[in-house]
Amino acid sequence: MPQDTSSALGAPSSTPQTLVEKPSAPPVNILPSLIARIYSIAHPALLLALGATRFEALVANPTKELLSTLPWLTLIQIFYVIVCLPPAGSTSTETSASAPTDVKSSPRPSGPGGAARHGKHGKRKQHANSWACIWSRSLPALLSVSLTFVLATPVLTILLVLFGAPLTTHNSETILCAAHMAVLSATALIYAHGLDRGVWNEVWGIARPADAVWGSALGTGLGAWFGAIPIPLDWDRPWQAFPITILVGAYIGYAIGSLLSRTPLVYGKRVKFTSEDLSETEKKIN
Amino acid sequence: MAGFRSWTTVIANLLVPVGILTFSSGFFPYKPLIPGLATFDETGQNVIVPAAFDKVIFMVVDALRSDFVYSNESGFLFTQSLIRSGAALPFTAYASAPTVTMPRLKAITTGSVPSFLDVILNIAESDTSSTLAYQDTWLAQLKATGGRLVMYGDDTWLKLFPGMFDRADGTTSFFVSDFTEVDHNVTRHVPHELAQDDWSALIMHYLGLDHIGHKAGPKSPFMIPKQHEMDSVVTEIYTAMQQQDHLQSTLFVLCGDHGMNEAGNHGGSSAGETSPALLFISPKFEALGGRRESPVEPSGDMQYYQTVEQADIAPTLAGLLGIPIPLNSLGVFIPEFLEMWDHGSHKLRILYQNAEQLLNTLTTTFPGSTFGPDSPTSCAPGLPSGIEGAQCAWARVQQLLSGRDEADDSYSTAGPDLLQFLRIAQEVMSRTASNYDVSRLILGLLITGIAGLLVLPATYKECTRHGSSGMFLTLMIITCGMMMFASSYVEEEQQFWYWICSGWIVYLHMKSQSSAKPLSHKRSGLLLYWSDKCIILVLAITQRLLRRWNQTGQKFAAEPDIARTFFARHPEIFWGLFILAYVDAGRHLLGSIPIPGLLRLGVLAPSALAFTFKLHFVTSESPELLDGTFISQIMKEWPYSLSLVLHARLVFYGLAVVVLLSLFAGKRSRVPRVPYDTIHEALHIFLMTQSRATNVPLFLIFRIQAGILSSMNLTGIEVTITTLIFQYMTFFAFGGSNAISSVDLASGYNGVDSYSVVLVGVLTFASNWAGPIWWASQSHRLRPKSPVGQDPSALLTFHVAVSLVSVMAACTALRTHLFIWTVFSPKYLYSMAWATANHVGVNLLGEVIFSRSRSRHSS
Repeated sequence: MPQDTSSALGAPSSTPQTLVEKPSAPPVNILPSLIARIYSIAHPALLLALGATRFEALVANPTKELLSTLPWLTLIQIFYVIVCLPPAGSTSTETSASAPTDVKSSPRPSGPGGAARHGKHGKRKQHANSWACIWSRSLPALLSVSLTFVLATPVLTILLVLFGAPLTTHNSETILCAAHMAVLSATALIYAHGLDRGVWNEVWGIARPADAVWGSALGTGLGAWFGAIPIPLDWDRPWQAFPITILVGAYIGYAIGSLLSRTPLVYGKRVKFTSEDLSETEKKIN
Repeated sequence: MAGFRSWTTVIANLLVPVGILTFSSGFFPYKPLIPGLATFDETGQNVIVPAAFDKVIFMVVDALRSDFVYSNESGFLFTQSLIRSGAALPFTAYASAPTVTMPRLKAITTGSVPSFLDVILNIAESDTSSTLAYQDTWLAQLKATGGRLVMYGDDTWLKLFPGMFDRADGTTSFFVSDFTEVDHNVTRHVPHELAQDDWSALIMHYLGLDHIGHKAGPKSPFMIPKQHEMDSVVTEIYTAMQQQDHLQSTLFVLCGDHGMNEAGNHGGSSAGETSPALLFISPKFEALGGRRESPVEPSGDMQYYQTVEQADIAPTLAGLLGIPIPLNSLGVFIPEFLEMWDHGSHKLRILYQNAEQLLNTLTTTFPGSTFGPDSPTSCAPGLPSGIEGAQCAWARVQQLLSGRDEADDSYSTAGPDLLQFLRIAQEVMSRTASNYDVSRLILGLLITGIAGLLVLPATYKECTRHGSSGMFLTLMIITCGMMMFASSYVEEEQQFWYWICSGWIVYLHMKSQSSAKPLSHKRSGLLLYWSDKCIILVLAITQRLLRRWNQTGQKFAAEPDIARTFFARHPEIFWGLFILAYVDAGRHLLGSIPIPGLLRLGVLAPSALAFTFKLHFVTSESPELLDGTFISQIMKEWPYSLSLVLHARLVFYGLAVVVLLSLFAGKRSRVPRVPYDTIHEALHIFLMTQSRATNVPLFLIFRIQAGILSSMNLTGIEVTITTLIFQYMTFFAFGGSNAISSVDLASGYNGVDSYSVVLVGVLTFASNWAGPIWWASQSHRLRPKSPVGQDPSALLTFHVAVSLVSVMAACTALRTHLFIWTVFSPKYLYSMAWATANHVGVNLLGEVIFSRSRSRHSS
């Protein structure tokens, strides 16, 4: 996938239309607390290590293994988002002074109202490390997990099939693979952004600025795409069976995407088309 | 040349065919085959040589490497005792690569060295073109003298010689893990056949030893017991030869078709693979006094006793059995057996027949050189090699023979020179047949590489100007080139194009989302908003359907797909789509025609004809599609009087008339313009006619995809990339693959009643490349309207050159690879078709025609 990430975002000026039309939600930062910062780095490594220990069992019986590890993966992801990520709406808490749960339950309509939030992506001073704070974050986490299973898993299943997953066979494998990918990618996205229409429009257009949340989601998808490469080889290895390489690719992509998108080189940048591409399109429309 | 931006592109495209020709001449050396059966020259007063034997027992043990019989660790104890007594004459028979059974059997039976092209053209194992039924072999010669042939063992023989054997029992080598049953199935026939006296050739082909090699290697614990088992068969046969009266004059040949390497595999050209054992056994040989030691140490790597060519078996057998040498044989009579005749003139006659036959193949292969008693002036005493050497040697033979009297010792004077001529001629001929001309391979690679370099600057400029799509194209071309070195990716190339296509669809989606933002907020209606957002899903769904339409390649070829499995179960859905596809084609043709008035309706005639032709075709070619559908009822009621050939011609002529009419009408109108829509729609119907019936609904999918793509307002380079990907993807979606066996020949004879290379070639190409041709035509309709910066020729040429270079490099580097015959060479043939027919004949020709008119149109 050619992605031109050469332009700095903080500057949405690279796409002028976007600036005029609607300000997009800023990239999400990992919470500033020490635990959050340490765990956010350890988390992808932990996932990969756990995945590596289960690899042989996965090859032996993919369906059983995927099903039995799914609850654990979900728990790990819940733990990760609660410890490391600000829940949806908390970014605007400071400006609009509304309770986070409030925003959560009634999804914020996109539009001019969002303008107030624009440009607020500085580091927030969130000191509270109390049980109350954890508790206030578990509700959005639980909500995001349930939305992951109800919405993101079917969507990813459809996408997997469109990208070539078998439709007439291996259905349980496809759905479970989609569920794993959804828990990896969508949980954090929903937790951090709620149902912000602008954000999801950007997700659909694959145009979010890079941050830990979007980077890991994009990495999951790209990794799964690259995971298909070894399948046609004639090595006759059991791990070449359908969902295994895709899933391994997705996990590795998740880890890489999640870590890479936090580095200052990439952070905040988005996939962008060169002006040549766009101006030519403009010319054509006219 | 109006269509090309620069002369470099033109030169590059001229260089590509030159490179292909150069490479091919080094890769597929031309070797003409002489048709027919050889006969003895009975006109002159030549001596008739009495046959030394009248029957032959030919026992092939698959992968019988020389050391399995001759070394200290051999299990062939009885056979070794025969060598010691002089009853068996042992040799190591050089088997040239590819050391796999079928080409080796061809070499053993015809005496020729099968060339690459020969094998590739015959590799389609399922059909009958791979037979030797029409080639001269010692089997055919025996059959021609009225003998009966019997065959037990590997069924490759039955495929090679259909109808040749009076009694046969073939075993397949499919179950490689079976060590005992395959051989038992042969051995159980032996006592019965040895008791019979009606055959003149008994052929046995044992597979068990090869299976052990493949499974466990030459050091396997199963190997020695298997050798003992084979040795007991030799004992049984030899004992029968000594005891039975009707086997008194029988020659027993024991040989391997090829050897094996230390891993137990074969196909390449290592010493182990190319050195099978060869023994001629008969009690008569004891009189020759050739007692040899056994077991012995090898003189070279796997070389035991004297090394001969595998091709020498055919003329030796022919001489010993008193039959003519097969016409295309490159073998030399093994001189040890000349001692079977006491009379010098007989010995000379045997060699002279061999020499005449080889001379015949020489003059057929090198029509330019003359052979006569006058030696060329350049004939130095040191004997030059190559064709001149053969000329010199033949001249000396002629001089010696013309000066001879009727004395008996003419053999002792001319014999050595005859043998020398035979050896030189064999060497010259074998080199043309199997050796790669590596310098030509490299030259071809270089020429194609230069073609690529010539268009590199233009490509680089174009790619950097369009950052991300240029990057995508570059990565795609590089990945595709690297893939050509892996046999499984060549076999499964469709997976790459499906995979890259899904990536490209995502790219197009991102692109359209980022540029469509201003549009979506103009409150232009909810429906438009959502269709704008989700139209890509339709494209993805259609792409997914294409992908599953025909399963192709090797690994997943047998899995259920739409064309064969789904339509077989739901014929009504198929026929619904089929009719819809033709209705759609007719409607579009009608809409595109620039003729006013009622005359327009006349264009429906070719569409209707095309529809009925396809029905007609299905009824005669694949009636199983009609079973139990409403169509079959109609077809029963509808008596056809047209022949298929005439019907197809009517379709083609009808379409041609429509195109000509619209051209004429276009010229007459106030703004002269070429009616591309009509041409495209006529082409659409033509390609439907040339496609398999189950692929006809694909054209409906194409229509949907083209509609979506044209709504996306692609830029020039994006159109080029899209077309490139869709061309390759649809080639595979139509059921194409990189195997020769997947070439669809069914529609190559539409409207043709006698064979014509050009017509059948064009029609076959159109039926196999229907998808690519359709997208090449469609690409001109997808292009942005503005004429500036619209030249994809350089990009397309670059892609073609790079893919050719990588295929050529893979073929050169992997020329001793086991799969060179089955995977890489067929891929090279396909690349030739892509580069010449599809690139030059379809893409560039279209580019020239369309861009000229475009520039004329805009000026």
